[in-house]
Amino acid sequence: MIRYSAITILLLLAAFIIQQFLPAFTGLYDSRILFVQLVFLCCAVTISSPTMLLLAFIGGFFWDAQCALGPHGGDPEVYTQQVESLRFGYSILLFGGMGFLMQGLQPLFKQGKWQFSAMLSGVAVLLYLAVEYAIINFIRGDLILTKSTVMQMVYTAILTMLISPVVFGLLFFIAKKCQHSINPEADRRNRRRRAY
Amino acid sequence: MKPLNLFALLLFLGGAVWALTRSDRSVREIQATYYSAMSPFLRSGSKMETQARAFLEETRHSKALEIELQETREQLGRLRLIESRFRIIEDENKQLRHALAFKKATHFDVVAASVIRRNPTTWWQTVEIDAGSKRGIGTQLSVLSNEGLVGKIDRIDNGGDRSSVLLLTDEKCQVAARVEGSTEVGILNGQRGGFEGDPMLRLRFLSANASVRPGQRVFTTGRGGIFQPNILLGTIESVEKGALDSEARVRPAVNFANLGAVFVVLSTES
Repeated sequence: MIRYSAITILLLLAAFIIQQFLPAFTGLYDSRILFVQLVFLCCAVTISSPTMLLLAFIGGFFWDAQCALGPHGGDPEVYTQQVESLRFGYSILLFGGMGFLMQGLQPLFKQGKWQFSAMLSGVAVLLYLAVEYAIINFIRGDLILTKSTVMQMVYTAILTMLISPVVFGLLFFIAKKCQHSINPEADRRNRRRRAY
Repeated sequence: MKPLNLFALLLFLGGAVWALTRSDRSVREIQATYYSAMSPFLRSGSKMETQARAFLEETRHSKALEIELQETREQLGRLRLIESRFRIIEDENKQLRHALAFKKATHFDVVAASVIRRNPTTWWQTVEIDAGSKRGIGTQLSVLSNEGLVGKIDRIDNGGDRSSVLLLTDEKCQVAARVEGSTEVGILNGQRGGFEGDPMLRLRFLSANASVRPGQRVFTTGRGGIFQPNILLGTIESVEKGALDSEARVRPAVNFANLGAVFVVLSTES
């Protein structure tokens, strides 16, 4: 269990490295595969709440370190209405929220129905982007929602969701190597079936 | 809720509050550490992206490339002529300023760089270039292309050979602008959600009865302490008049979809 949890942390850190090799799809409204978020979501459903919160902190912290913009600069007398940016650290809370959402499907996952979790990872990514965009709109004081923004969010969620079976496969493999069961009910059922 | 879960949740919230209350300076320090740890992977990632882009470019029809090369050669020759003429005028201008005993004269020094990574983040319009502090680049310096203003330097990496450019098409990149042939000045910035191939800019805070019309060009004013004056920003496409002020939609002068080589202005006061 401890070995498996430690490996999920390393896996999340490795996801940050892999993310550097995944460019935006300019032909698809600049959508992208959010590999860091996906690894976090897939791990979240297989671990306990305290470990999930630790992963959420690490994921959100480094994601903001990668994406945060600098201060506007310039003369405040000329640029009187500076455009606000997202505050460093907000992603930690978003990751935490998404993690709890994924853990809601943990009973199904434990029964071996990982497909629902894979689909939920797409929904969670869409929700994550929608909330992030809503926060941007909120702090900037107006709501601008264009077709391209919606399409960017939808394509990003779909592309990310399509990779989730690979990540779940990897997690099953790691769990097996660590002699830890991430879907104990399904394992018990399989053992019983084999015994009969 | 189990006591362990509650304790973990409290620790998590405490950590989130700690991160949310970091100052701009400490955020920059965290980012610098993160990017220095990531730099080998960033380098390989951007190399891969550049190679993929080069491969796609190569697959374009060779005849079209030949024509383009011919046109570029002609343009280069023309620009060389203009540059030599510009140098003469610059010298003449310097002498005249000196003769008029101008206390301050500004001169432009630029560093050429290539775009090595496009849109590394979800919501912000940024690109990464292969020049950093080693070549004298710092934050808040303006970045130009041969067509006009591209944006400004937002972040420089610890290694000193990369920097991130906040593009003019991002909502956060504000530029004090003036309309050619009028007294109108305003603030130009990008539009939120402009992820399509043809992004437009907003020129806000023009006077209510602004006498501006489509086709007029927009330049930097030089006010605000970031951008040098008289850099081309774009051309007005339409004007929307309001009760208190007017707003114009501006087509950027730079083709952001095809951004390759850029120049960072290291302006120094002499």
